[in-house]
Amino acid sequence: MKTTSFKMKKPIVYTLLIVFSVVSLLPLYWVFSTSLQLSNYQDEELDRPVSYVNSNPPKMYPMGIPEYFEHWKKARDAEEQNDMEQAAYHRETMSHIVDNTFSGFKTLFEKNNMGRWFFNSFYIGVVVTVGILLFDSMAGYVLAKKRFPGRNLIFWLIISTMMIPGQVTLVPMFIMIRELNLMDTHWALIFPDLSMVFGVFLMRQFMYSIPNELLDAAKIDGASEWKTYWKIVMPLAKPGLAALGIFTFMNVWNSFLWPIIVLNNSDLYTLPVGLKTLQDANLASFKLLMSGAAIAAIPMIIVFLIFQRHFVKGLTLGGVKE
Amino acid sequence: MKGQFKLVYVLMLVMFAGILSACSDDAGSSNSGEEWTGKITIWDGPRWAEEGDDSGEDGEGNKYFWLEEKIKEFEESHEGVEIELVQVPWAEMPDKLGVSIAGKSWPDIAPVDISGSAVSIEHIEQGVIESVDEFFTDDEMNDFYENAREAYTFDGELYGIPNSITVHSMLLNLDLFEEAGVEPPENGEWTWNEFADAAEKLTFDRDGDGEIDVYGFSTYILPGYYEAWPFFYINGGQPLSDDLSEFTFDDPAAVEAIQQLADIKLEKEAAPVSMGGADVGGTFQAWASEEQRTVAMEPWATWAITSAQTAYPTNFMVANYPTGESGEPVTIGGVGGWTMFHQDNDAKKEVVAEFMKHISSAEEQYVMSKEYGIFPALKSAADKDPFADNPEMARAQEMSSQVVMLPRHPEWKKIDEVIQRELQLVFNGEKTAKDAMDAAKAGVQDLLE
Amino acid sequence: MKTSTGVKKHGTLFLIKKNYSAYLFLLPKLILFITFIAIPVVWAFILSFQEYKVFGSVWAGLDNYKAVFESEAFRKALYNTAIYTVVTVPFNVVSALVIASLIHSVSRTAQNFFRAAFYLPTVASMVIIAMVWRWMYNYEFGLFNYIIGWFGADPINWLGQTDSALWAIIIMQCMIPFGVGIILYLASMGSISESLYEAATIDGASSFQKWARITIPMLKPSTLYLVLLSTIGSFQVFTQIILMTGGGPGFATETIVHLIYKTGFRDFEFGLAAAQSVILFGIILIVSIFQFKVLQHDE
Repeated sequence: MKTTSFKMKKPIVYTLLIVFSVVSLLPLYWVFSTSLQLSNYQDEELDRPVSYVNSNPPKMYPMGIPEYFEHWKKARDAEEQNDMEQAAYHRETMSHIVDNTFSGFKTLFEKNNMGRWFFNSFYIGVVVTVGILLFDSMAGYVLAKKRFPGRNLIFWLIISTMMIPGQVTLVPMFIMIRELNLMDTHWALIFPDLSMVFGVFLMRQFMYSIPNELLDAAKIDGASEWKTYWKIVMPLAKPGLAALGIFTFMNVWNSFLWPIIVLNNSDLYTLPVGLKTLQDANLASFKLLMSGAAIAAIPMIIVFLIFQRHFVKGLTLGGVKE
Repeated sequence: MKGQFKLVYVLMLVMFAGILSACSDDAGSSNSGEEWTGKITIWDGPRWAEEGDDSGEDGEGNKYFWLEEKIKEFEESHEGVEIELVQVPWAEMPDKLGVSIAGKSWPDIAPVDISGSAVSIEHIEQGVIESVDEFFTDDEMNDFYENAREAYTFDGELYGIPNSITVHSMLLNLDLFEEAGVEPPENGEWTWNEFADAAEKLTFDRDGDGEIDVYGFSTYILPGYYEAWPFFYINGGQPLSDDLSEFTFDDPAAVEAIQQLADIKLEKEAAPVSMGGADVGGTFQAWASEEQRTVAMEPWATWAITSAQTAYPTNFMVANYPTGESGEPVTIGGVGGWTMFHQDNDAKKEVVAEFMKHISSAEEQYVMSKEYGIFPALKSAADKDPFADNPEMARAQEMSSQVVMLPRHPEWKKIDEVIQRELQLVFNGEKTAKDAMDAAKAGVQDLLE
Repeated sequence: MKTSTGVKKHGTLFLIKKNYSAYLFLLPKLILFITFIAIPVVWAFILSFQEYKVFGSVWAGLDNYKAVFESEAFRKALYNTAIYTVVTVPFNVVSALVIASLIHSVSRTAQNFFRAAFYLPTVASMVIIAMVWRWMYNYEFGLFNYIIGWFGADPINWLGQTDSALWAIIIMQCMIPFGVGIILYLASMGSISESLYEAATIDGASSFQKWARITIPMLKPSTLYLVLLSTIGSFQVFTQIILMTGGGPGFATETIVHLIYKTGFRDFEFGLAAAQSVILFGIILIVSIFQFKVLQHDE
């Protein structure tokens, strides 16, 4: 522990942190809780279907959990008393509860296009990420390590556009995509994403730290430019590449404004676009919407938990500019 | 050093191959005298599924099977013609069509409700929409209902083939009427006072906990949606003057009608707080979903009748909008149909038109009416009596004679937005109808000039 | 290039030839950059002086700009966006600073845990966040009306009333932790020299004084960066609007980018939309320069 810069009583610090993080995680919790909530569930006492999704007051956790254990207990008791009929009834109810709990996910994959949207988002993310890693590291490498006429001009040209908000190019990009005949294709997403310049900046910063001696040595050994880049520079740049790759994938996975403009065919939708159509379709319940949201959130959460270190690295690399 | 960039350039090559393949426009080919061959693109939204088919969207089966079958038939009888179906959800259709027009990536054929959506008079003037006049004989023309044909006619020419008529109607949950002891209107005909009365009586506290469980009425206000609008017409008001030069929703006739509907919620508290909001799905669920049914009366377009007969089985009846000072029941309706987009090749145009006629014949319109819950636009299709065993639909079809069309102004989308945004403020109680419509007048009048 | 005279005598052409492989390395990115960024940026400016039609367009001079400035909707959108920015940016940056300071003072393991807990919500797409907040703001069944009910408050029609809709959107933005900020502040705090604190301790400074006099000033570069970053972001607020309110009720939640989207891709007035986006760019640029000057100078 360092000399703390912010000394308060430990319990207070922890209490504050826990309260704040609960607040910040609440929406995500609510996504999952609603997506697993019982809906259109046959209530035995009322003898009519009830929804715990649309209930006032709201149910704070999936009601399937207590219901399940209640029936499990009853089934066990019945079995002990050798009342097989009753036990079978409770066992059956238990499987109904499980079905009902996961029905949102099931409906989305079986009856909506969710599987397709998921796949689209995934493969577009991969294609763009691979492309960005390759092109940006190539560009970043020569901008950091080579001296040639026009280098500074090109670098500043690229950097200055980083300041321009994406909305400025929305309309001309649309016309461009139209003139290239790429409307309603995945290329309309891939090309603009591949042109993002942040990675060039990031890779250039990163490549600076590669010692020139290594590159010179390779040259003396007679390695070609490509070989030097591929065999020496790339392996050394791995941490930077990992960070850039993760952020690129996350950006592409979450992008929304552009895809809703250029995609028409529902078979081509990415996840965020699909989620919007689900909401627009009017008849979807909140359970279904939240199940869709959960499906879109889970991969990014997993990626984050696995590659946490690289997230931090990438953020601080990009952030500490001067 | 050459060849070292192979990998990269192979990658680039693959990409540009992607562009090129997308560029190869399917202009098709046709030698004079021979049949045109090539690809036709058609857009459609989900309609209905074959009976017994429970795969696909909503668990109600493949809702594109009808068009897929028609395409197969047509392709079999026209060698070398390939028809591609692009599936676009209905809620996205207007926006997507708009974008495709701006993007010059339109399909050859799309279903367009010409009375108020993506396609405007401006697009017809700019040549985005093709006339199909030449493909119809006088007899065929006269088989269309007057108002249906009228909706697709511009400067005396037919721009699209009407295939369906829809109306807005009041849907009444009869179980709730019974529970509250309210008599539903006879034949679905009633006056405003009878309606307002019913709405109040249908608002009740079921379990005595001091909180209202069921409300009499609800609807929503959103640009592009008109379920609430017939209420504004009942005293003789209308949004624009007949020559489209003047905003007229600020006339007392309209203002009063708007205010009295808002007061169902604001004064009489016979509607939930969410009434007049923007939540279309929530409003429908509150009426139709078995778990809720917290609202007794809601106005909906025709699709809701089918929905309440199938996906959300409800004991309901179809009623007119109540009548006001003008004494005549009114409703708002739409005309659906197929439109053809800009064609460069006359031979192709002929084939496209042939296919459009193939899917909007009297026989097909009859099938569509029966299965999909819309009214045919052809008299000969209506003569086949598609609603013989569906009294609710038959009742709603009677209402097509009461239909008033929305103004066909090229700037309608923007005018509509100004009006609806002000209406939202009336229904959430922030403005009186008078103030809101005065404010709307300023905005709309600018657009009219 | 600073490698001066010795090289120059060979001439530029020679250098280009000698370094042709460097250009080959740059080429793929450069082609993409020129096609999909450089040309569109220039084009946007040109378009903003044109009236665009489906088949061809005509010059319109300054008409589009005039129309934007005269438009009530644009003024309203600008006002809403400004309020949104003025509230959310300081709140987000300050809360990131406070949370980062709190995290910094706990043990390593706890640091990792809380850093993850605060960053996690920001990896989810705004589409997801907006959908769930719309659900939590639901009048009848929403979580918030239930929670405020604990304190005896009446339910609020959050997204349905003019006076609460924009604030509902603002509250939502404030409640999403500023993950980037927290992580960046943490990293910067780690690099502040220990000796500074030790010296202050000898001088008898309290821990709050140390925080205010050492930590905060030392974090200034990060603060500047974060303020710029979140200002640019908040001027572009869009996803929440289209998914939660559509700009309503009335024009209570209309924002600039939502207006650009509507002008461009509902009304297809490309010239007007281009003018709006150029103006947005101008505003962001001016605000950024202003912030840069202020935060740089008050040391």
